[in-house]
Amino acid sequence: MAQQAITEYHAEANDPTYNTSTGLSNRKLLMWAFLASDVMFFGTFIATYLVYRNRSLVGPYPEDVLDIPITTVSTFVLLMSSLAMVLALHYVREGSKGPGRLWIGVTAFLGIVFLIFQVIEFQTFVNEGLTPRTNLFGTTFFILTGIHGTHVTIGVVWLLFLLYGHFKGTLRSDNALDLEIAGLYWHFVDIVWIVIFTIVYLVTAKDGAPPGAPPFIHHG
Amino acid sequence: MTTTTLTIPRIFDRPKSESGIWSWIGTVDHKRIGTLYGITAFIWFLVGGLEALLIRAQLAQADSEIISPETYNQLFTMHGTTMVFLVVMPMSAAFFNWFVPLQIGARDVAFPRMNALSYWLFLFGGILLNVGWFTGDSPNGGWFGYAPNSGITFNTGSGMTFWAIGLSVLGIASIAAGLNFIVTIFNMRAPGMSLFKMPVFTWMTLVTSILLVLAIPVIGVALIQIGTDRLYGTNFYNSLNGGDPVLWQHMFWLFGHPEVYILILPAMGIVSEVLPTFSRKPLFGYSFVIFSGIGIAFLGWFVWSHHMFTVGLGPAATSAFAISTMAIAIPTGVKILNWMATMVRGSIQINTPMLFSISFIAMFTIGGLSGVMHASAPSDAQQQDTYFVVAHFHYVLFGGALMAIFSGIYYWWPKMTGYMLNDRIGIGVWFLMLLGFNLQFAPMHWLGMDGMPRRIYTYSSDQGWESLNALASLGGLVLAIGILAFLFNVWYSRRNRIVAGDDPWNARTLEWSIPSPPPHYNFAEIPEVQYRDDFWYQKYPELLEHEDGHAPAPAGGQEDEAAHESHDEHDEHDGHGGIHLPDMSYYPFLAAAGVTLGMGGLMAGVWVIVLGSVIGMWGIMGWSLEPVNDPDPDVEH
Amino acid sequence: MLSNLLPRFSRRNLLLLLVPAAVALIAGCATDNPQSTFDTAGPVAEDQANLFKLIFWIAVVVFVLVEGGIIWITLKYRRRSENEMPVQTHGNTKLELTWTFIPTLIIIAIAIPTVIAIWDLAEPPSDEPVMTVEAVGHQWWFEFRYPEEEIVTANELRVPVGKNVVVKLHSQDVIHSFWVPKLFGKVDMVPTRENELWFRADEPGVFFGQCAEFCGVAHALMRFRVIAEPEDDYEEWVAGMRRPPVSPTDGAQRGQTLFAANCSSCHSIDGHRAGTYQGEIALQDGRWDGWLADIENSRIVSAPNLTHFGTRLTLGAGIRDLDRQTLIDWIDDPGSIKPETRMQDHGALYQTSDKTANLSAEEVADIADYLLSLVPGEADAPPATGGGGTGGGDPVEIGRTAFAANCAACHNITSDTLVGPGLAGIGDRAGSTVSGLTAEDYIRQSIVEPGAFVVDGFGPVMPSFAWLSGDELNGLVAYLKTLN
Repeated sequence: MAQQAITEYHAEANDPTYNTSTGLSNRKLLMWAFLASDVMFFGTFIATYLVYRNRSLVGPYPEDVLDIPITTVSTFVLLMSSLAMVLALHYVREGSKGPGRLWIGVTAFLGIVFLIFQVIEFQTFVNEGLTPRTNLFGTTFFILTGIHGTHVTIGVVWLLFLLYGHFKGTLRSDNALDLEIAGLYWHFVDIVWIVIFTIVYLVTAKDGAPPGAPPFIHHG
Repeated sequence: MTTTTLTIPRIFDRPKSESGIWSWIGTVDHKRIGTLYGITAFIWFLVGGLEALLIRAQLAQADSEIISPETYNQLFTMHGTTMVFLVVMPMSAAFFNWFVPLQIGARDVAFPRMNALSYWLFLFGGILLNVGWFTGDSPNGGWFGYAPNSGITFNTGSGMTFWAIGLSVLGIASIAAGLNFIVTIFNMRAPGMSLFKMPVFTWMTLVTSILLVLAIPVIGVALIQIGTDRLYGTNFYNSLNGGDPVLWQHMFWLFGHPEVYILILPAMGIVSEVLPTFSRKPLFGYSFVIFSGIGIAFLGWFVWSHHMFTVGLGPAATSAFAISTMAIAIPTGVKILNWMATMVRGSIQINTPMLFSISFIAMFTIGGLSGVMHASAPSDAQQQDTYFVVAHFHYVLFGGALMAIFSGIYYWWPKMTGYMLNDRIGIGVWFLMLLGFNLQFAPMHWLGMDGMPRRIYTYSSDQGWESLNALASLGGLVLAIGILAFLFNVWYSRRNRIVAGDDPWNARTLEWSIPSPPPHYNFAEIPEVQYRDDFWYQKYPELLEHEDGHAPAPAGGQEDEAAHESHDEHDEHDGHGGIHLPDMSYYPFLAAAGVTLGMGGLMAGVWVIVLGSVIGMWGIMGWSLEPVNDPDPDVEH
Repeated sequence: MLSNLLPRFSRRNLLLLLVPAAVALIAGCATDNPQSTFDTAGPVAEDQANLFKLIFWIAVVVFVLVEGGIIWITLKYRRRSENEMPVQTHGNTKLELTWTFIPTLIIIAIAIPTVIAIWDLAEPPSDEPVMTVEAVGHQWWFEFRYPEEEIVTANELRVPVGKNVVVKLHSQDVIHSFWVPKLFGKVDMVPTRENELWFRADEPGVFFGQCAEFCGVAHALMRFRVIAEPEDDYEEWVAGMRRPPVSPTDGAQRGQTLFAANCSSCHSIDGHRAGTYQGEIALQDGRWDGWLADIENSRIVSAPNLTHFGTRLTLGAGIRDLDRQTLIDWIDDPGSIKPETRMQDHGALYQTSDKTANLSAEEVADIADYLLSLVPGEADAPPATGGGGTGGGDPVEIGRTAFAANCAACHNITSDTLVGPGLAGIGDRAGSTVSGLTAEDYIRQSIVEPGAFVVDGFGPVMPSFAWLSGDELNGLVAYLKTLN
């Protein structure tokens, strides 16, 4: 009778005999529900960005600063990290120590590369005169992509912990669920970026000065 | 059991004590956390009630100068914020915590430590919201915080920044609690309890939790936006740089209307437990009640702009939102009629919880009817932002939600404490509250139709609102006496204990099948559920023969059997044969303190942020590396 | 148990009790209350009230049935013995479908007239003439602009009876809401947006209006009046607003000077002069931008236009009846009547230790007398001096007059600083202040585009005076060049 005292711990143990009413592990269900919540979170930020499209009173406007080729590269990097995540989960489940370790590391590394791209992008924009205070585009752009960057950062830290755990032997094939859940999160953050990339860098990238607003003139 | 080789240095030993303050700080027991929620929320209820009394004192006569305009604005801002976020929501959370695991036959929620984290964040967030009373700079932009009046240009104090940060902390608490209960209800039901055998209260908890998880992020985003506007000069709602004040309203009410159902659905769940119990009849039309609850929650996402009929949306949008809003009256009406039908031909025991529940139907109906008047946009143009609206939502939130919460308190008190609340005093409490409530809020309908706007700290005698305001203030006094009578009842009943026994009401759901108060582990044996209201049919198996076609969903269904079998198999697997409950932990407290300090530090300075981050990281690291159970035979019961 | 305490009402008695209660409910609202939504005086409020009444009576029926039902059921089915066990009814699908269907019908019956009314009230009937006014919300007063008549006034909106009036709604600061319960339901005044409503007053009267959206500290004291007059009276008022005021005498004359020195940088009184309409709007915008640029230190705020103030009925945005003593109290210490006005918080006059006017009691009374003297002169009276646009005369003299009317509130002709820098010696300095600009061009540009050259130590608060006539501008330049 006892095991109905279901706790996180039992779920963590990934006990194959462990049962829930739905058959899904508690933590996996938690992550799915959290991601639903996060969809609303990002959805609201993206909606704000779209509502304020073409409503900045002064420049720089998207066409003055956005660099599509470079962001395409960073987007590709993030996409590849999802592939690495799939491989990492595969090898950890299989119990292959070396490849498991390698691909967890690659996933985290690609995440870091993406973040470096973002930091450089932010710095470039600030140098060109766009800060979160400059105009509505700056406000919505920096906060939206910044919040996404925060999500990636959390994911990277999480992956580094799992990598450490893999070295220490606390992440094994029998509790690969730990990695699977991190993977759910990672893939979600990746998908969100695809949406942001599409909207910010593809749909609105050519937006210039809206009617009535002065064009932006680069200084120096 | 697997143990981890990773540890971080412990500064405190893992809490073990069963009593004293440390036992509360370290608790992960859903019942104790429920108690903490309940007591904290009740204290906030007294604070919010005091704020209301001061408001009524100021408005009792024309041109009154008891309270300064600035203080008045702070009072109504904090009254609304407190009653919504610090009273009704956590009161519901108290009942979720106490009774959802008991009703579904579980020993705890799915994530006990996250549950503790939710509580501590709620507590600290509430304190953060109220810091202003001590700095003299309380939030003063209204609970709805309309931009740009809440923005830094027109509101230079620190109050609204604390408001944004405090509500954000509360939002994290609510999302965590919502996630926890979704997983708990989906995953931790006793064998045999399919979704449609769950008690209605558990159902409404599930629906509410889903609303929380989806709606809170929207206000979270809005709060982040207004917060960065105020702290860092971004332009989201800075109308001078093109920021759109109406966007804030859309965001606030896109959250705010589901929020209304977050407040009222748990109350509907409570009433749906109390009415059948004291009518000795099953809930009439269980699935209609469930599906109308789901319907209300779903429709609640498509009506938000009825809070904005005067903003100038244009006739097309206004028509659409008027119709969608009216549509909500349909599932609501269905519920009311189902509750009445539950009582028809019943054997109605008239006692305090029942009277509160009956009053819920009666008062909620009035609030619903005035709600339809608001839904009609041209009619609403005269009512919007008047005391008619104040009357309307107090009939829904006090006459509705709080009446049901008091019903729940009287109904479940014996289960929570092991002794009864005095029924005679209880009926007096009910009478005073119902009388005071109606004296206070019924006149506001007239005031609103006589053109008295909301949120005004004064009015002139030539505006003709004096006598009705005096009456409303008198009502407030009666209501306050009713609340004091409730406190007296608690004190009296504690001194003159009447032991409740396991099942004092001859009730229907699983929580009444175990001792009062329940043991730490809840169920010595996890029950196996065959029927809806399973405990009732255990007591009265002969009633099963009198079924009338609407069967109480007898056992069957592959899902149930599968769950049942694997459950048995699983029991055999359990090496200990004892009951494992999660051990106590300080880390949720530390993590919550760290998060709150870190966020409060946005106002206080970078060192507070650093301190908060260190404590928060310590809490989270400790948490993730600490096993739920120490591998220690002592924890077995 | 309570059931024993309750008197035994029969079902009929209960219903009989509830019906008069409901009648009393609606009768109780139809008072002669100045802001009653039932005592309507125009078609918009009437349609809105009628819709309310329709729903109200449907609600009364539902209310009686449900509340009566609850009480009846509770009494009828109360427990008679501890052992009774009712039939365990679980539901009745047919019944439940029925009572899903009935509310649906009721809702449809309400929704149809609602949608019709929404579209009907959206715009005034297209076949009837309309007049347009603009209302601007400020913390905490209302500005009214008549673009066709070129009138700017505040807190009292005069309209002709029987004419459809379209009101365009703006706000310069936070959200306000524009509402006169007897004439029309509210519509919000939202910064960055333009809203619109229309109404018609079918009977003459003074109708109470009030801001209905929480807008800060003095939200409760942001009221106004709509004065509906017969067409002839209205036309007379419009004509009066075009005529100069009667000449002030005695105290009022002293008050005129004091007003020019202390009040006129924010309050205009020259709305009667032709051509000032656009200028007043530009001035208001300039005052607003200046205030925003440096809220802490700004000594100029956007403020009600006081043209023909003596004709007003109320003071302080509709919160007090206008009389001499109240006006004196107001000028001396506005906070004693209305807290935290921008006038008191920012006006140069109130930068004293106790925030009261920096004037003697006599001076305050003189200003009050002057303001009360501002009523339209006789229709045939000659135009007041300094009328804009009148050509001829010595430019320096025209400039001197224009300076007194437009500049003296902020600029002294000595070297003392008022709000702006003292202008003594400006004629000498002007030529060398900005290289490449002649003294004449510098002065002219400083008047027309004040933001271009802001003197060190001063904020960019001066509004543009580009709306002055060419003669006046030339005159000002000529006059200022004489200041050596």
